[in-house]
Amino acid sequence: MHSVTAIVVAHDGARWLKETLTAVLRQTRPLDRVVGVDNGSRDGSGQLLTEAFGPSNVLSMSRSTGFGEAVHEVLRRLPRAQVQEPGNEWIWLLHDDCAPDTQALQALLWAADQDPKAAILGPKLRDWLDRRVLLEMGVTVSRSGRRDTGLEPREYDQGQHDEIRDVLSVSTAGMLIRREVWEALSGLDPELPLFRDDLDLCWRARAAGHRVLNVPDAVAWHAEASARRRRRISASNEHPRRLDRHNGLLVIMANLPFWALLRSIARNISGSLVRTVLFLLAKQPANALDEVAALSSILVHPRRLRRFRKARKQDRKQGYAAVERLLTPPGAAFRRLADMVQSFVAGEGPVDSAGRHHAATGEPSQEDGDELLTDSGGFQWVFGNPGVALCLILVAITVAAERSLLFGGLLGGGALVPVTGGASDLWRLYTENHHTAGLGSDTWAPPYVAVLAALSTVFFGKTWLAVSVLLLGCVPLAGLSAYAATKTMIAYTPARVWLAATYALLPVATGVIASGRLGTAIVFVLLPVYAALATRVVAGSRRAAWGFGLLLAVGTAFAPLVYVLVAILGGLAAVSFGGVRRGVGLSLAIGLGTPLVLLFPWLIEIVRDPGRIVLEAGLRDAALADPRLGADSLLMLSPGGPGVPPVWVTAGLVAVALAALLLRRHQMVVAIGWGAMLFGVLVATVVSRLSVGDVPAWPGVPLALAATGLLVAAAHPAHRIAEFRAAGGLRRAGALLIVVVAFATPLAAASMWIKSGAEDPLRRGVRDPMPVLAAVGSAKGQSTLLMRPKEGRLTYTLLSGGAPLIGESDLKPAESARLGLESAVAGLASGRGGTYAATLASYGVQFVTVPGPVDPALQRALDSDPALVRVSLSETTGLWRMATPAPVPPPPAGADSRHRIWLWAQAALVGLVLILASPGARTDDLDEQYADAPAEEPRGRRRAREDRVPA
Amino acid sequence: MKGLIENRFGLLALVLVALAALYGVAYASRPAPVVHKPPQAVRAPVGSVTTVCPAPGGGRVSVVTPPGAQTPGAATVAEIQPPTAKPEAQPTAKPEAQPTGKPDGKKDDKSGKAGGSEVQSDGTTGKPVATVRQPGVLWQQEITPGSEPLAIAATGSMAAGLETAQTAREKSGSQRGLAAVRCVEPGANAWFVGPGPAAADVTLYVTNVDAAPADVEIMIYSGEGPVLSDRGNGLVLQPGQHRAVKLRDLAPSPLVMAVEVSTASGRVAAAVKAVLGEGKGVDWLPIAAEPSTRVVVPGIPGTAGLRELYVTAPGEQDTVVQVKAVLKDGSYALKNKESVDVPAGSTATLDMSTGIGGQPAALVLSSDVPIVAGLKITGTGTSQDVAFTAGAPSIDLGSVVADARASRKQTSGLVLSAPFAAATVKIQFLPKEGPVPAPFDVQIPAARTKEITLKAPPGSKAGFSVAVQPQPGSGPVYGGRVLTEATPQGLFITTQPLALARTWALVPPTKDSPSAVLP
Repeated sequence: MHSVTAIVVAHDGARWLKETLTAVLRQTRPLDRVVGVDNGSRDGSGQLLTEAFGPSNVLSMSRSTGFGEAVHEVLRRLPRAQVQEPGNEWIWLLHDDCAPDTQALQALLWAADQDPKAAILGPKLRDWLDRRVLLEMGVTVSRSGRRDTGLEPREYDQGQHDEIRDVLSVSTAGMLIRREVWEALSGLDPELPLFRDDLDLCWRARAAGHRVLNVPDAVAWHAEASARRRRRISASNEHPRRLDRHNGLLVIMANLPFWALLRSIARNISGSLVRTVLFLLAKQPANALDEVAALSSILVHPRRLRRFRKARKQDRKQGYAAVERLLTPPGAAFRRLADMVQSFVAGEGPVDSAGRHHAATGEPSQEDGDELLTDSGGFQWVFGNPGVALCLILVAITVAAERSLLFGGLLGGGALVPVTGGASDLWRLYTENHHTAGLGSDTWAPPYVAVLAALSTVFFGKTWLAVSVLLLGCVPLAGLSAYAATKTMIAYTPARVWLAATYALLPVATGVIASGRLGTAIVFVLLPVYAALATRVVAGSRRAAWGFGLLLAVGTAFAPLVYVLVAILGGLAAVSFGGVRRGVGLSLAIGLGTPLVLLFPWLIEIVRDPGRIVLEAGLRDAALADPRLGADSLLMLSPGGPGVPPVWVTAGLVAVALAALLLRRHQMVVAIGWGAMLFGVLVATVVSRLSVGDVPAWPGVPLALAATGLLVAAAHPAHRIAEFRAAGGLRRAGALLIVVVAFATPLAAASMWIKSGAEDPLRRGVRDPMPVLAAVGSAKGQSTLLMRPKEGRLTYTLLSGGAPLIGESDLKPAESARLGLESAVAGLASGRGGTYAATLASYGVQFVTVPGPVDPALQRALDSDPALVRVSLSETTGLWRMATPAPVPPPPAGADSRHRIWLWAQAALVGLVLILASPGARTDDLDEQYADAPAEEPRGRRRAREDRVPA
Repeated sequence: MKGLIENRFGLLALVLVALAALYGVAYASRPAPVVHKPPQAVRAPVGSVTTVCPAPGGGRVSVVTPPGAQTPGAATVAEIQPPTAKPEAQPTAKPEAQPTGKPDGKKDDKSGKAGGSEVQSDGTTGKPVATVRQPGVLWQQEITPGSEPLAIAATGSMAAGLETAQTAREKSGSQRGLAAVRCVEPGANAWFVGPGPAAADVTLYVTNVDAAPADVEIMIYSGEGPVLSDRGNGLVLQPGQHRAVKLRDLAPSPLVMAVEVSTASGRVAAAVKAVLGEGKGVDWLPIAAEPSTRVVVPGIPGTAGLRELYVTAPGEQDTVVQVKAVLKDGSYALKNKESVDVPAGSTATLDMSTGIGGQPAALVLSSDVPIVAGLKITGTGTSQDVAFTAGAPSIDLGSVVADARASRKQTSGLVLSAPFAAATVKIQFLPKEGPVPAPFDVQIPAARTKEITLKAPPGSKAGFSVAVQPQPGSGPVYGGRVLTEATPQGLFITTQPLALARTWALVPPTKDSPSAVLP
């Protein structure tokens, strides 16, 4: 006859304990003895135990006691039962959150009777809440310490596994073990207070020649309260995930024979590295940290490992054969990796942590909708989508307007230097720590150079292609981005189409193209994306915040003003939404902080020279902005300067937006939109009155923001148009009028643009400022002085080796060199003789060129200098050469390691932000569920994905 | 407030008020239109000048710089010699030693010192004849016959307005007469208009004093059109090299011609001497003003004799040149000499003797296409001498005449014209020795020409120089210097148009701007 003692260990489990106790007491095979252990519960679990088992059968222990320790304590006090055979005294271990079926014990004992060698038996564990879901039917482990249940995630129990099987280990929840074996193996290792203690015990039992069986006829329901963090773990201070990983590794390494151990160490080190990288890619830095910490904590304590191994020395080698065949086969790791990559690419799959039995694919979440990445695929989508149709129309309009800009020589003019060079030149410009361009400069290359270089790399290394697409394609790109970005904001598709078309054809857009403002062009395309992401950032989305931060960094690099605007609006949003939703403050901080970190050294230069905030990438020319921009222009969103249509073009837009104010519904969005509009116009007014040096600032960016607000205000309530039309009569006429007025703006803008053409001052076929003879004749390090009389002044610049690259104009040379060069140029151009030419030569100037038609006075002055030799003079260009070759300036002093370190750091940070911003596995915010989350969680919430561990 | 928010028109009213406020702010803050005044060029004294006297042997070389700057300076007069070594290999200028990194490069103190290295840097001069260090004092010296060309390299205070001239006087032979020429600065372009090789023995002197070789091209526009030579009219002058080219070898037939000496690379100092033959006179052709649609030929003396105008239209278009004379009593077109037809690429002549002979004058020529002009002046007597003048720029920044003489036989004078607006000029004598007399002003009414006879300042019989400085508010002034000597056989005469003194250079306002790469 058997004698069975049930030991129920409770720790803050009152929620489940009652049911557990009822189940224990109602067994069809009555228990011979029951013992309850209360590990310092604070929720009255001890009281429940006492009520069920009687005070004499309940043991109270401290809060930090582990499961194994508690069982040891019970067995130390529990006298042996009176049975005929010593092997027939059984201990039945139960967790407070594990309720066995009424026939569980009976089934277990029946199985034990079948096989006298069976020393440990475990029931089939099912989920506490979803009672048909299988949790585990025996567990095995891979050589890398990963738990393996052999079950599918969320597999339903349909009897498919119902046979008594030899397993490597069973959970301590419901484990039936012979007391004799327990004592021979000295039971659960108290040094493993939580997690994997069951595996360790069963392994040792297996190695000692016993059998471990899973009995499917015995069923128990398990809540996995510790693993799912339904309760706080007191037995250890460490994070359960790290603890689990650590214990898993420790158990493997302690129980493997020596040679297998060495292989296992090598495998685990490499495997951990791979996993860490994958975790980082999957934006689970906490997991990565745990992975590294767990492994290193084992490796840095070799003594503890030796102690563990010493304790398990007996039978380890001989018994390994019995264990080995139950371990997960080695190929499984690769299969899992493949699955993981596949699911990660699909954008959904979590990266598996150290083994869990629910892969627990979260319900597809709507929270992080990827409207910019929508890919419903196919021919039909392309031609049935209004967005595509809109884009094609905008492309057609653009081609018609830019007819003279599409083909020909170099593209340049306005703020755009003639585009020469390739991606590698831009990368070199960005990464070199001493810029040889011009007079030489040690300042940071503006970060937009890196952005352009990256884009050029994408465009097959051709900068001209990248610039052409971004600048000339600014209108269709802006339309596309506005259309895509408003997907969640505006449900009514015709309104979105109108919004996108109007946005793309704003005066800012045509002005941007005509004056070659690449910076504002990029900000203009990004602005709707900012708006779309911002709505998600204020909803607290972390991923959107990273993406927002990255794109804001890009925009800021091109036009720093956009950061100021966004920061002010972000501050307002923090005030308004910060209290409403949790995490908004942090998300906003991420969104606004990322650009500061990514652009750090360059931003310092901007802050030192605050005037540059209102300027943007590219050349600064006073003619590109109107310093006396009229009030009507500002209110009509017209930024002035070249390429801007008449003021009245946008009247329809303003009128429709004013009309939207009359609607009572949706007043919130309309008011926010108008708020953005008024704010943008106010900033634009301030900006348009500023000038930096003698260059007036151009209010394109704030006006684009104002227009965005206005368009949202007008388009958001537009679905009411359909209602009005259905209403008929006067309302129908009103609706028609509104539609006509609204569409007047994009139509008028498009026709004016096509009529006047997009060029001037931007144009195709700009002459390469570097004469070929000079390019051929200069050695490396020598430069060419270009002088051009312009507006009563003699403007000049130094060309080194070729036309300047985009971004070189934003480099600041040393002030002394700049002034020295200026006086030398003035002296040379005056023709007064002297050593000016020699001074120029000392700056590395080998050639002097004057683009034609050459001013006769200047020509005389240059001709009169004996140190200059005229090489050629024609209608198009004049070129002079230094009579004695200019010395090549000394190469700059050794590489600045600080510069290099920052570049690497910047690259790493960009990579990190990219990872964090890209869709991928999401970690749950488990902390929220920590203490007293309700047991009945809504099903829609994702499950905790921690390894299931006995509790 | 609550009512305002709940009212259908509340939000609209708020927005309209805000828009009105914004309009007001934008309207009020709109800056007044600023008249964009382009920054003015700054005057700075010339810091370094080199001139070349093409054939000084047997004549007198005059070197003078108007007084002004107190900084050190020197003018070295030296014969030109080809350098012994290759100029490229010579350790000449050391540019790295002089990166004048200071911003005030417009001050002349630096150029005074720095310019000192200029002389050595040429590497083409040797055998210094003299060094002149004192501005404001005329230096003159008779040069022995057979001398090489002289290079006068001035720096610092001696450079600001340096004027050099060579004057030869022969009593007999084919060279009989007064022949004077300004020693010229090397340049890339020079025009000469005068009689052709068929009418005179015309010699072109070209000199290269620079460190780089000069690739010289010679183009001749005859009365029948441009002369195209199958041998090629180019020559290369190595540093320090000089050549005398007989134009007859290039184009034997023209009676009248314009010569354009230009360089494809490098600079050349060019001068042309015309010897009309025994008893017909000799003189140098002054450098004529660059082709322009309006040319003023100043400095026509009041002596009797023939006056022959040469006009060349070097372009590819025929033109009619309007001729107006600016005389003592006014400016007008002369009867039957209102205009002259000039075929494209050729030189035309017009006899002006009856119109302006015997009275000081200037001619104002205007045309649709750029033209170049010169004038031949013939002296009187049985054995004549000739003189030439040519189109010249106005002397806005002042002019200096290096060689003026006033003795019993020799007289010199200035012919000043203000063809467009009244002008006042200050005339300052710079004697070779003795005290410097006080300057005096001369007023020229608009569209008038005035002849001023230069009387030697007391105590300076030997020679003197004259600085002419238009006063502020004056219209453009053109002028010439006339030097005559009465001999029993006839009048010796030589003239030269006043050249713009290289006293000041205009330092343009500069701006370091990467936008310079764009038109």
